[in-house]
Amino acid sequence: MMWLISRLMQAASAIDRNIRRELSALPEGFSFSMRVRSGTPALSMRKDGGRLVAVSPASGSRPTLAFEFKHVAHAFLVLSFQESTPRAFANDRLAIDGEFTSAMKILRCLNRMQALVLPEFVARRALKSYPTISLSEKLALAARIYGRLVIELFKRVPS
Amino acid sequence: MSKNYFEFSSPVKMVSGFRALEHIAFELETRGARCPMIVSDKGVVGAGLTDVVVEAVTAGGGQIGPLFDDVPPDSSIEAVEAGAGIYLQSGCDALIAVGGGSVMDTAKAINIMATEGGGDPRRFAGYNNLKHRLKPFIAIPTTAGTGSEVTAVSVIKDAAAGAKTFFYSQFLLPDVAVLDPRMTLKLPPMITAATAMDALTHAVEAYTCLAKNPLSDAYAEAATRRVAKWLVPVLENPGDEAGRLALAEAAAMAGIAFSNSPVGLVHALAHTVGAMYGVHHGAANSIFLPAVLRFNMPACREELAELLLYLAGPDVYAATPADQRAEESVSRIEALKESAHKHCGLPRTLSETGKVPREALPEVAARSLDDGTMVMNPVDVTYDDALAVLEKAWD
Repeated sequence: MMWLISRLMQAASAIDRNIRRELSALPEGFSFSMRVRSGTPALSMRKDGGRLVAVSPASGSRPTLAFEFKHVAHAFLVLSFQESTPRAFANDRLAIDGEFTSAMKILRCLNRMQALVLPEFVARRALKSYPTISLSEKLALAARIYGRLVIELFKRVPS
Repeated sequence: MSKNYFEFSSPVKMVSGFRALEHIAFELETRGARCPMIVSDKGVVGAGLTDVVVEAVTAGGGQIGPLFDDVPPDSSIEAVEAGAGIYLQSGCDALIAVGGGSVMDTAKAINIMATEGGGDPRRFAGYNNLKHRLKPFIAIPTTAGTGSEVTAVSVIKDAAAGAKTFFYSQFLLPDVAVLDPRMTLKLPPMITAATAMDALTHAVEAYTCLAKNPLSDAYAEAATRRVAKWLVPVLENPGDEAGRLALAEAAAMAGIAFSNSPVGLVHALAHTVGAMYGVHHGAANSIFLPAVLRFNMPACREELAELLLYLAGPDVYAATPADQRAEESVSRIEALKESAHKHCGLPRTLSETGKVPREALPEVAARSLDDGTMVMNPVDVTYDDALAVLEKAWD
């Protein structure tokens, strides 16, 4: 699940101009992780060339920002889009270690990605509010994001 | 099955009321403390408030250690290091903070260093980076608004880094909060009004934002009732000890409420105009509260309607049609703002502060979106939303 989220973010950050605008305020090399308190599983991403790229959580370097779930069950609620990240914060399931200003930008990127790649009825459950976006724009962006994801999958499978 | 869940914590012992300060000696003794250091600032010391505390403690058989009164208005890492140095050199074994939010925050950070034996306080910055209990700590607020005497947060200005260092840990909570009307009796009317509206904002946002829960609601309701009932009488008669105490209790209860159900958009905007233009935090909260509540109303109409009982009393609540109670609650808050303006000139709008140029509103809106309190607002806020609220609060 973490792998999928990070690859969707990677693809969305390369395609969607709203996400790229949010990222433009963060320094190159900025990194964040989303992890469970027990240590695994985790996703890690770094800003590189104006977009986010997935990096190995085991790289050892401390991320600029960390989102930490208390338990893997709490992470599953959010990452399976059953619960929004604000609701996870409100329910004390998720904590932030790092600057809130950066966290807010990353949260907006995550929200935007979810709004683009999820069917509206699922996204409405995962977001505090569903953004104004036309169906044609959503479908076009989602197709490009999933296209990039498929390419990533082929790159990952050894020939 | 419902996935509802909440956490609530409020371990601070409240010592509140007539001659409350005289209980401090007992509270220190029962915690094995013999030499508490007082942390304060020069304004509080100059007003003679630390003298009142020292007299109350020593008359009860207690002892007092050194007084550290070099706390600047926004606190600072240097003040924390200096205070911790004095504490460690003097062989103190407890802390008493006498002051407002900055003094409280500084004392909390000094307590970290006092317990850890000095060094750089920044290594304990962040979320839950303390692993054991700190020294006995008694908090005596001299304003009735921030609620710092019951919060687990300390924010310290780090001039070298050009940032504010944030500490959060349950271990930062004071052991005892002492609310004595003598401590707030001489507050100027403007500060009285601004801090009371700050407390009201804490209560109302705790009641309407995402993390609200039955226990934070109970504290928010009680705090709201006290501010609504006592703010105007205290402004009319600043020597009203019962009213002063009620406002101090309201601030503490609102502090407990928002510690367990964090605040939202009002605070995001207030933090931003405070950081950019130095608008007093309580005054800014007061300015933004009605406009934000109207914006949030679609998501919290029921909660706002319930608040009318605490803002206006049972007769008004019963006489107001159910579908009009939410709007009436906001009108009552606006009426409080008007009264405060009439009595002491508390600004009602951003333009009345004389500090924020209208052309700055787009930047204020943009920066507000990055404030961490936005997460808990019941409605998602876009740049256009934030700008629209700012325009409404302008005049």
